[in-house]
Amino acid sequence: MQNLANIRKSKNGKQKVIDIVAKNFLFFLAILSSSFIFIVVGVIIVKGITPFISDNNGLGSVNFYKFITGNTWLTGEAFNSNLYSVGFIILSTLFIAFLSLLISFPIGVLTALFIAKIAPKKLAESLRTVTELLASIPSIIYGLFGAGLVLKFVYNLSALIGYQSKGGNSILASVIVLAIMTIPTITSISEVAIRSVDKEIIHGSLALGATPMQTNFKVVLAAAKSGIFTSAILGIGRVLGEATAVSLVAGGRRSGLSFNLLDTTSTLTTTMLEGMKETVGLDYDIRFSVGIILMIVILLTNLILNTIKKKVGHVHVK
Amino acid sequence: MKKIKSLILVMTVLLAFGLAACNSEEETFNAESNITVYTRDTTSGTRAGFMGGIGFDEAESSDSVLVEGFVIKDNTGIMTSMQTDEFGIGYVSLASLTNEIKGLSFNGVEPTVENVINNTYDLKRPFNWMVRAEGDYPSQAVEDIVEAFIAFLGTTDAADIINNEGAVALPASDTWDDIKAEYPITEQDNSGVTVRFGGSDSIQKVAEALSQAFSAKAGNFVADHDHTGSGDAYKRVVGDQKDESVGKDVGFASRPFKDTELEVGGVALPETQYGQLAWDAIVAIVHVGNPVSNVTADDLKKIYEGTYTIWSDLISE
Repeated sequence: MQNLANIRKSKNGKQKVIDIVAKNFLFFLAILSSSFIFIVVGVIIVKGITPFISDNNGLGSVNFYKFITGNTWLTGEAFNSNLYSVGFIILSTLFIAFLSLLISFPIGVLTALFIAKIAPKKLAESLRTVTELLASIPSIIYGLFGAGLVLKFVYNLSALIGYQSKGGNSILASVIVLAIMTIPTITSISEVAIRSVDKEIIHGSLALGATPMQTNFKVVLAAAKSGIFTSAILGIGRVLGEATAVSLVAGGRRSGLSFNLLDTTSTLTTTMLEGMKETVGLDYDIRFSVGIILMIVILLTNLILNTIKKKVGHVHVK
Repeated sequence: MKKIKSLILVMTVLLAFGLAACNSEEETFNAESNITVYTRDTTSGTRAGFMGGIGFDEAESSDSVLVEGFVIKDNTGIMTSMQTDEFGIGYVSLASLTNEIKGLSFNGVEPTVENVINNTYDLKRPFNWMVRAEGDYPSQAVEDIVEAFIAFLGTTDAADIINNEGAVALPASDTWDDIKAEYPITEQDNSGVTVRFGGSDSIQKVAEALSQAFSAKAGNFVADHDHTGSGDAYKRVVGDQKDESVGKDVGFASRPFKDTELEVGGVALPETQYGQLAWDAIVAIVHVGNPVSNVTADDLKKIYEGTYTIWSDLISE
């Protein structure tokens, strides 16, 4: 404070004091907003660790190894048993995420290429607006759309090929709903990345005799690699975190890992969501543990994808 | 060439969606197909009532004893699933039954309100209420109104309202006018008094109809409804959440109260603090194209535990 008083007396003192105060205020705001992450993560971790270390009102603590590797969500009666495990659910979640990214990534990137490079200006403008609108639709709407139309579609499709699906509730239905949800996200971010590729690179390629299509695929997409990869990371983040929409079409599988596309399934998020409002005790606390597992899965996926992104390398963009 | 290719692609997609939009034209029911079993979550009161009613108590809160490959849906989810899945079977509360799905007769008795009242339809669960301990209310006015409300539940006026909402009221003999003299609080102007109702969301419609009708007879008190599940009937009225902002004065549960809910701190609750207000009938439902129209408790148990796996197991009975 003495320093502040001295500074104030010097030339332009008042401006300098305001400067220092403003800097400190911004610093304080940054600390405040980043502390929320720690608070949220901290609470989840504390509540999620309790089933493993406490006695859970006489039911006994949950075995962590069995929790990670088991094949049945709950053996025994609810509220009377501590034999929970999410092993098969983790694998189902990753499988569904991978499949939906497999569908939405090519469609999203190619749509972005069309909007950024090939479409006439007016069409590009309207498509861009449509994509941004779709990206901001709340996920419950996609869930209702899934429950209304996608289920019927998958049911009729499976009847066509002779396999009896369970009313359409299946991995295929979840993947379709998730893919529809992530295409707008991937498209809008990839489109920005493609648009900011340096014009000189494109002109150079065209000047060397490549056709526009060859340039688009071999030069532009390669140059926008970094941004396109970011869109994939965000897409996977949205897929892994989706709860309501998937819970309406997944079917709530409670045991047994299955990779059959037309079999029911459940993900980490739907397991946390189903029955949450009516449950007490260990059944309620164990959902926080599932939350911890989910956070670890998301963290690992992001780390892996980010490492791949760095290895893939940058091309200098404007 | 590109345009023709994209046109064909669009046509295929439209055709597939067209299949989804229009109903299946098949008239014959393929009895060799698997039975797709739909159920509610383990925390659902409807599930507890259904499993108890068919004699499959172990399945009330355990998923491991059910047939493999069942589908978990919520109330509306099961109804919409029965409209698409021709080979599915599920269960809903009688009050939710519509014309677009087929309710099965239970042990030869059709699932109608009349049959529940005359006690021939057996697949049902109790609707129970619980109130706070004497003196534990926000004010004496609230306590008196709640006392009067509980008495109201036993009158024929309340029975009419409950039956109207699709639940089945217990037999009653008095009308409200017969007994209202015993509850002078209802003659006063209670528009400044708020009574908090909560508990089971299956009972929400019935509870709101009852409180609305009673409010008009009891000085127009404000009825505040916040239904979050049968578990909260005990928790928010007598249990550890009763003094928080979510605490309630009257809690409803769509299942019998557990032993842990009939006592607080080791002391059993007095019998005046809880009771039953109605029955709720549960109906087994199938797709309208399903030829089955009657099931026994044993049939349903065999379906849900996995002994019957294809429809011809059941139809040949």
